Amino acid sequence: MQKIDKEEYQKRLDKITELFSSMTVHADEQSTYRCPYKNKEDQCTAKFGCRNQRKPNNSRGILICGGDDKLDYRQAWETEAVQDRVSIDVEYGMGTVTSDDRTCKLSVGKTIFDYADELAVQVPTSCFRTGQCHECIVEIKQGMEALQPRNEAESFLQENYRLACQAVVSDADIDLDFSPLRRNPKILTDSNQTTIVDIDPIVTCQNGVVYYDGESIDKYRGHLYGLAIDLGTTTVVISLVDLENGKSITTSAFENPQRFGGSDIMHRISYDGAHHGELRKAIINAINHEIFQMEERFGFVRQEIYEIVAVGNSTMRDILFKLDVQSIGQKPYKSMIEQAYLAGECSTTSLTEKTRRLGIRANPKARVYGLPLIASHVGADTAAALVAMDMASRKETVMLIDVGTNTEVVIGHAGRMLAASCPAGPAFEGGLIKYGMPGYDGAVESVRWADGQFEYDTIGGTQPHGLCGSGLIDLLAELRRHDQMTPKGVFADKKQYELTVIPEYGITLSREDASNLAQAKAANYCGQFILIRHFGISPLDITECYLAGGFANYVNVDNAIQIGFLAPVPKDRIIKIGNAAIQGAKEVLLSRHKRESIERLVKGIDHVELETTPDFFEVFVEGCQFKPMPNQFR
Amino acid sequence: MAEITDIENEFIREEIEEYLERPNEIERAINTFAQVTPAMQEIAAALIDGDHHTVDHLTSEALGKGTGALEIMDDSLIAGMSIVGIKFRENFIFVPEVLACARAMKAGMAYIEPILSASGIEPVGKVVMGTVKGDLHDIGKNLCIMMLRGSGFLVHDLSVDTSEDEFIDAVEEHEADILGMSALLTTTMPNMGKTIEAFIDADLRDDVKIMVGGAPVTQEFADDMGADGYGKDAVECVELAKRLLEEDEEF
Repeated sequence: MQKIDKEEYQKRLDKITELFSSMTVHADEQSTYRCPYKNKEDQCTAKFGCRNQRKPNNSRGILICGGDDKLDYRQAWETEAVQDRVSIDVEYGMGTVTSDDRTCKLSVGKTIFDYADELAVQVPTSCFRTGQCHECIVEIKQGMEALQPRNEAESFLQENYRLACQAVVSDADIDLDFSPLRRNPKILTDSNQTTIVDIDPIVTCQNGVVYYDGESIDKYRGHLYGLAIDLGTTTVVISLVDLENGKSITTSAFENPQRFGGSDIMHRISYDGAHHGELRKAIINAINHEIFQMEERFGFVRQEIYEIVAVGNSTMRDILFKLDVQSIGQKPYKSMIEQAYLAGECSTTSLTEKTRRLGIRANPKARVYGLPLIASHVGADTAAALVAMDMASRKETVMLIDVGTNTEVVIGHAGRMLAASCPAGPAFEGGLIKYGMPGYDGAVESVRWADGQFEYDTIGGTQPHGLCGSGLIDLLAELRRHDQMTPKGVFADKKQYELTVIPEYGITLSREDASNLAQAKAANYCGQFILIRHFGISPLDITECYLAGGFANYVNVDNAIQIGFLAPVPKDRIIKIGNAAIQGAKEVLLSRHKRESIERLVKGIDHVELETTPDFFEVFVEGCQFKPMPNQFR
Repeated sequence: MAEITDIENEFIREEIEEYLERPNEIERAINTFAQVTPAMQEIAAALIDGDHHTVDHLTSEALGKGTGALEIMDDSLIAGMSIVGIKFRENFIFVPEVLACARAMKAGMAYIEPILSASGIEPVGKVVMGTVKGDLHDIGKNLCIMMLRGSGFLVHDLSVDTSEDEFIDAVEEHEADILGMSALLTTTMPNMGKTIEAFIDADLRDDVKIMVGGAPVTQEFADDMGADGYGKDAVECVELAKRLLEEDEEF
């Protein structure tokens, strides 16, 4: 038997202790957000029960963790000590709760959300189940009487709709059947231009070797793929593109999971300051998940993704690239990259980073390219939209309006361009409006006044729960057209505070709602008005006006112009281009020359800061009125 | 300076390519593995993979062929564990995977223990660890056991839901210096007190030092129950264990 020296052995022990110490410190840190019983395949290794446990699809026995690493997982752990062979009486009633053919027994005091967890039914929430986000609306098909009556937070709902987080079982002897509201947000993925002619990608293949900008990075495995990602504040779109022939293989869209950090940019910036890294983790996980899904559906491996082009407003883009975004939230509202560029420390505001460093599951040698920013909040997504509408070759004056949570406006032609961004706020996406809602099933998307009442269409053809942006614009326009409301938002009956829109469902519009909408509209108005004026022209001089963004695609242009939401450009010159950002991202992915062109182009764009315009306040007040913008400015 | 292609083991090459990002770490890893024998690389690969069966039989085989114990520790166990530490730090793997790798390391060390005894190297101390009756949580306990073993202690793991009798039997059988108990539920914490009373009743209390831990446990609670010490995390657990042994020696 060999012998070893005690001191030599102790050295090894010390090394091991050192290794393990840093690992236990990291384990403590990791366990502040991620359950330590959850392994890398998201399976549960705990011996005890937990509300987040789900049965796996292939039922090979190992439970999957349904927890999302955002909420305190400890709260989901069972808190009862286990008894030997004695089952604890949980006081089940005689009734059962069912959703989608899954059933379990009812007991008093649990919420519908608790049962959704138990039955592994997906119900969304972004307010930690406190009744504020309204995303957990469920339909009670049977057993309304088993629940406590609606509380304050649920007061906006009618009939047999409840908030899963607020509805509590009070009678466990009645059968309950519920289902989540099918969430089909009208997410825009196709743009008008679908054929990409100019192919000159930075990733090429020759003699069975794959090259990135001339550097060999892999042997050819069968495909050359790239990803174009549009990181919208509210919606993320990812497109898988074949770099050999320019075809888009698939496009998927999903709600931006960073919503838990706030629905608007300023809140997310604050959140990132307080919990740095969480928002980035959330989006990286979502992107990787999508890549995984695409691999399964289309039969390729992630190592065949050789480049990723990402666009988004300045904050969204910088969060992805692991940068500190606090400076974007404070005057002068500029990204760290923009500041460095203005100080001459770098030659462009575009970013290139290795996918591995960002944690994205693509080929280890692949890069992520973030388009350049224009200025301040006007970011890479607007730059991408300019690629899609080929601003670089425009000789006549054109305008781009990208309506979203923030609205960006760019006006000009290849020789001279101005840009501005206006924080429109959530009013046209349902926030702050009593009966407002995002573009989901059940949202009223268009409204007409006929025969003494409002006729309407809802998304999905189901019964209405509220109005989405396009419906609100129609409503305001119709009220004005029929003299039911003054430009200042006062109803025909001056003493009336709340106007009934759809009596059978109790949907109303109040003076306060109108006021919030007026302010959101005024932001859009200011952006367009001030830029057009600054450029020295009038709306009638604009040869083409491009409307980009999900919301813009469904808006009724006449009504939008009528209430002053859109500049009065002649209707035949208004072109809806859908999601121009993803289109532009794809074009850049496929063409070096477009990449170089947009980097050059953005340097010539002047940013107009709306708030520092001397008569901004007067323009804003004027813009609050529900009437069209003047069509001649001189 | 070695190249990654100098490393014969494909799994290790892939691990370095996939998971290592910092240039100094990549260089160190390549230099380390390029210089060790393929047999050592294989053990390291199995450890990184969390495969304790393979580490077990390959270590036994290597020792049988005359490989030195220190060489095995350096070239496969520690070298492999360094990679595991990096993957964990970068969040490619999580606590369950780390515990699996620690188990693999223990499997390798099991063959080295007789060599230590023959060299006159005794374990720092003998510890019995378990989670109390009615409680099924074990991550904290498992991390403590990993740290204790890594610091030279011999540890017997009684797993979860351990009764007083099971604790007493194990302490007697293994002649343990220290008993460590873990509880995660406020409803099971009292079982720690009951176990200590059981030791007193069996006239064994003075033969063993008792330490406690777990999220709801506090120094105050430990004192009230009559425990000899309380540790709030794995690192403190090891320090406490060493201190308790010193107290023992003073007698």
